[in-house]
Amino acid sequence: MADSGTRTLISQAQLQRGRGKYIYWTLLTVVVLGFTLVFLGPLYWMVTGALKSGQEIAQTPPTLWPHDPQLQNYADAWNNLDLAKLMFNTFYYAAGAVFFQLVFDTAAAYALSKLRPVLGNVILGLMLATLMIPAMVLIVPQYVTAIDLPFMHVNLLDSPWAIWLPLVANAFNIFLLKRFFDSIPEDLIAAAQVDGASPLRTLWSIILPMSRPILGVVSIFAVTAVWKDFLWPKLVMPSPETRTLSVGIYAFSGGTPQNVVIAASVIAAVPTVIIFLLFQRNIMSGLTTGSLKG
Amino acid sequence: MSVPQYRKAAALALAAGLGISLAACSTKSSDDSGTDASGKVTITVDCQPVGAQKELLANWNADVAEFEKANPDISIKSVSVGEQCNNPPDFTARLAGGTMTDVFYGYMTDLQQVLDSGQAMDITSAVSKDTIPTWDSVDPALKEVFTEEGKLYAIPVKNYSMGLVYNKALFKKAGLDAENPPKTWAEVRAAAKKIAGLGGGVAGFSEYSAGNTGGWHFTAEIYSQGGKVLSEDGKKAAFNDAAGKQVLQNLKDMRYGDNSMGTRQLLQWGDLLTNAGAGKVGMFIGAPDATQAIVSQFQGKYEDWAMGPMPGQDGAAKGTLGGGEGYFFKKGLSDAQVKAGLKWIAYQKLTPGKGQLDYVRAKPQNYPVGLPQPLLFTNGSEAQKQELDLRKANANVDTANFKIFEDNPVAIVGEPRNAQAIYAVLDSAMSGVLTNPNANIDSLLKTAEEKVNQLQAAGS
Amino acid sequence: MATMTAPATRRPEPPREVKTRRSKTGRKVRDNLTGHAFLIGAVLCFALFMWFPMVRGIVMSFQRTRRGETTWVGWDNYTRIVADPSFWIAWKNTFIFTILALVLGYLLPFFVAILLNEFRHAKGYLRILVYLPVMLPPASALFLFKYYAYDPSEAGLFNAILKALHLPTSEWMQSPTMTIPAMVIASTWMNMGSAVLIYLASLQNIPGELYEAAELDGAGVWRRIWNVTIPQTRLILTLLAMLQIVATMQLFIEPLILANGAGTQDSATSVAYLIYQHGFFQNDLNGAAALSVIMLIVLAAFSAVYVRLTTKQD
Repeated sequence: MADSGTRTLISQAQLQRGRGKYIYWTLLTVVVLGFTLVFLGPLYWMVTGALKSGQEIAQTPPTLWPHDPQLQNYADAWNNLDLAKLMFNTFYYAAGAVFFQLVFDTAAAYALSKLRPVLGNVILGLMLATLMIPAMVLIVPQYVTAIDLPFMHVNLLDSPWAIWLPLVANAFNIFLLKRFFDSIPEDLIAAAQVDGASPLRTLWSIILPMSRPILGVVSIFAVTAVWKDFLWPKLVMPSPETRTLSVGIYAFSGGTPQNVVIAASVIAAVPTVIIFLLFQRNIMSGLTTGSLKG
Repeated sequence: MSVPQYRKAAALALAAGLGISLAACSTKSSDDSGTDASGKVTITVDCQPVGAQKELLANWNADVAEFEKANPDISIKSVSVGEQCNNPPDFTARLAGGTMTDVFYGYMTDLQQVLDSGQAMDITSAVSKDTIPTWDSVDPALKEVFTEEGKLYAIPVKNYSMGLVYNKALFKKAGLDAENPPKTWAEVRAAAKKIAGLGGGVAGFSEYSAGNTGGWHFTAEIYSQGGKVLSEDGKKAAFNDAAGKQVLQNLKDMRYGDNSMGTRQLLQWGDLLTNAGAGKVGMFIGAPDATQAIVSQFQGKYEDWAMGPMPGQDGAAKGTLGGGEGYFFKKGLSDAQVKAGLKWIAYQKLTPGKGQLDYVRAKPQNYPVGLPQPLLFTNGSEAQKQELDLRKANANVDTANFKIFEDNPVAIVGEPRNAQAIYAVLDSAMSGVLTNPNANIDSLLKTAEEKVNQLQAAGS
Repeated sequence: MATMTAPATRRPEPPREVKTRRSKTGRKVRDNLTGHAFLIGAVLCFALFMWFPMVRGIVMSFQRTRRGETTWVGWDNYTRIVADPSFWIAWKNTFIFTILALVLGYLLPFFVAILLNEFRHAKGYLRILVYLPVMLPPASALFLFKYYAYDPSEAGLFNAILKALHLPTSEWMQSPTMTIPAMVIASTWMNMGSAVLIYLASLQNIPGELYEAAELDGAGVWRRIWNVTIPQTRLILTLLAMLQIVATMQLFIEPLILANGAGTQDSATSVAYLIYQHGFFQNDLNGAAALSVIMLIVLAAFSAVYVRLTTKQD
């Protein structure tokens, strides 16, 4: 992160002098207030709105804080939507996604970067080509494939594999990892080989320890992908026991009062917001450096 | 460990890892005949109530236990598929994936889709008085709905028809006669105007226009005008006529002429019922069980709600939309499984005094007894009489609230073929009149007509 | 394999040369096998969930499955899909959304990032704020907009604010003209955090001397943005523009939740929603596959032209 020492668009000196200083502080105040309003405001509205009764929410003009807080809305949301189950599912899928992407994508990137087997470049090319295919285009055939895997005739509906395996097929992660591995000097690996280390051992004890930042980035991407995805889990997890949070809330929205839906949304957001606030330094720096320099 | 062994292990781990883990989930695919070594027949059945519906779920589980006790050679495995047992995308997903239960729930309009998926079993020869004791009393019209080319594919378990659901409390507040609901659309309009006049965001009349429910209600309303959605042969749209225009005109008059339908539109099922539960809706078109949803899911009160017959344009309605549910059988079941499934349905759905018709048990619960449904048995049949007597004796809602509806039966018309696709098209006509003050009814209907003609031409 | 373990026991006398000569081809094969063993997991996943479905999607678009039987139908699915009156509406809506989202969702984060990069105070706080909505499950964020912000009555948050400011209120999702802008606003709010972070990182990589030199040449703030900031971040700008366009063209969850699907008079119908509607409501997976192929072609053509245009300038 840039510290106050680096020169940016406007010079430090200019910001500290008379008019510059005045403008700087005005702008800063406006932006801080504006951003608080724009980004925290709706969240405040969400938390308090879910406490209002159906009558109060339809009131004109809307009330700033609930006059008769209905904690019952949150209790109903928790119980009726079985949020505990939905949260568990989402975290379970996310954890699996991280695990399988780390294992298979790291192995593949390592092979493509260092072991370079025959046809490796062709495979890499075919993988990178999938970057050009938008996810929506593949939804229908992927779905048909997931319900009846070729050769094996296995149905993956309602099975976590339906989320984990397609996520492994992530060319961007393999690309990021491969580029990172490419930057690790060959000498290190050659030295390890001379010492009789197998490729697996080289990967485990030389490459991986050096690659922590990029592995962190891939993990964050994997979690975000599970967290943000909607249509795919909606299709492959049709039964209520296997739904993710986003899909579950949507599925219940049709037969649930609005305030309860919003209460469920608030509860659903709490764990990730906490995780984010706790680890925000790592997440932010990982995200930005990873996506740029990786 | 030597170097190459490492490699071997790595290769095996990576290659086998995938294969094994994939094989692990293949245990789910069931190709067993459903009969275990001891000769016990197992069937899976869906539409078990969800956890939030506590009493319904307890009832269901009690039914399963009692049924299994009476039939020690049958084992029922219940599967819950959500509050709405047939949510179209999920239902499609299960059909396409073949992950439905052995005996699976569907709407009357689902027959074509189930047949298309190649997953339906012809159960004509298995159904008789022996498997379903009340079979001869079941309304033949309902059997017909699940029959294609003389073959029966499902057992009807619920049937409803639509009428005018209204909030008695709001009627009284607005100075209207709560015992005498509007019988024509003109009267509906007048009443809606009065109710909306109460203010506080109350809609006199409320209507759907999204998520395919708008088209569903357009269909009900055009039936009330004596109109049709599709031509006799089912190949062309038939709603772009005086009847269809009248439907939209009525809504437009109320929405923009009188401003009596509230500002919130683009409603779908839960939205309207949420508003109704909050006491913000005077009237809407619905089946008797809409009141059940308002109470059990949307925090409303039974005593507020009553029902009249479907309104007509001048005088009584010429028809009303009917629909219902049934249980299909998955292709490839053994004879024993089909028989077990029929027995279960007969017990849980079609026996007065048992299962869903166990009114003694339902009476103290927060679910209504006394609604004019499920209308499964032919008028005058033995089963119908039994069911009716039990229902009357155990009613926990004021049956008077539904008396006008029951005493003025309207001819029931079924849903059109390819219903969901047509409803999606008609949604846009409904949202047109409900959100655009300058909507041109003729052009809305014309566009919808073109789309439906195209759908039907492509679908056949 | 048994012979291969032998060298390990003979290690004390290191006849390394002998060993390599003896098994040169064997070793090559072995290395290749190891390489492919490491690849196999990812390759299988790609094969199952990317390469095969791609082919299968194209095949499906020329078939029709009815009553459990699949037949070849030539271009039937395509003619049916194109003839669907919603087809052109969906493309029109999708394009308008993409363009508006580009103006708002692409430029806004860039200027926000430039602004944030100048601040010496409250930086961390502002960064967290911008990124906070990204942390919400997408459905949660959209329900917030649907139920509270876009409520068409005056009880709605936006309308209450507009009314307090004596500005005309709107019916938001119920007004055909506001549907798409409303979706763009919601979508930008919930997604812009990641773009801002990426821009911030790339802004921090710009050498300060460049600004200094420009300033000495008498360039004002806007000139410096134009002459230094933009050229220095061009790579990331062009990359994100393309990613954003491809992402917004797949618009789905916004219409599904905010507009209950098609919206008023089809004003929210998107191509992706149409794929979903055909595939999972209308029992027409083949038609949905045909529409997917059309979408692929449009997006591929766009990407090709875009890459062409942006690389030519070099």
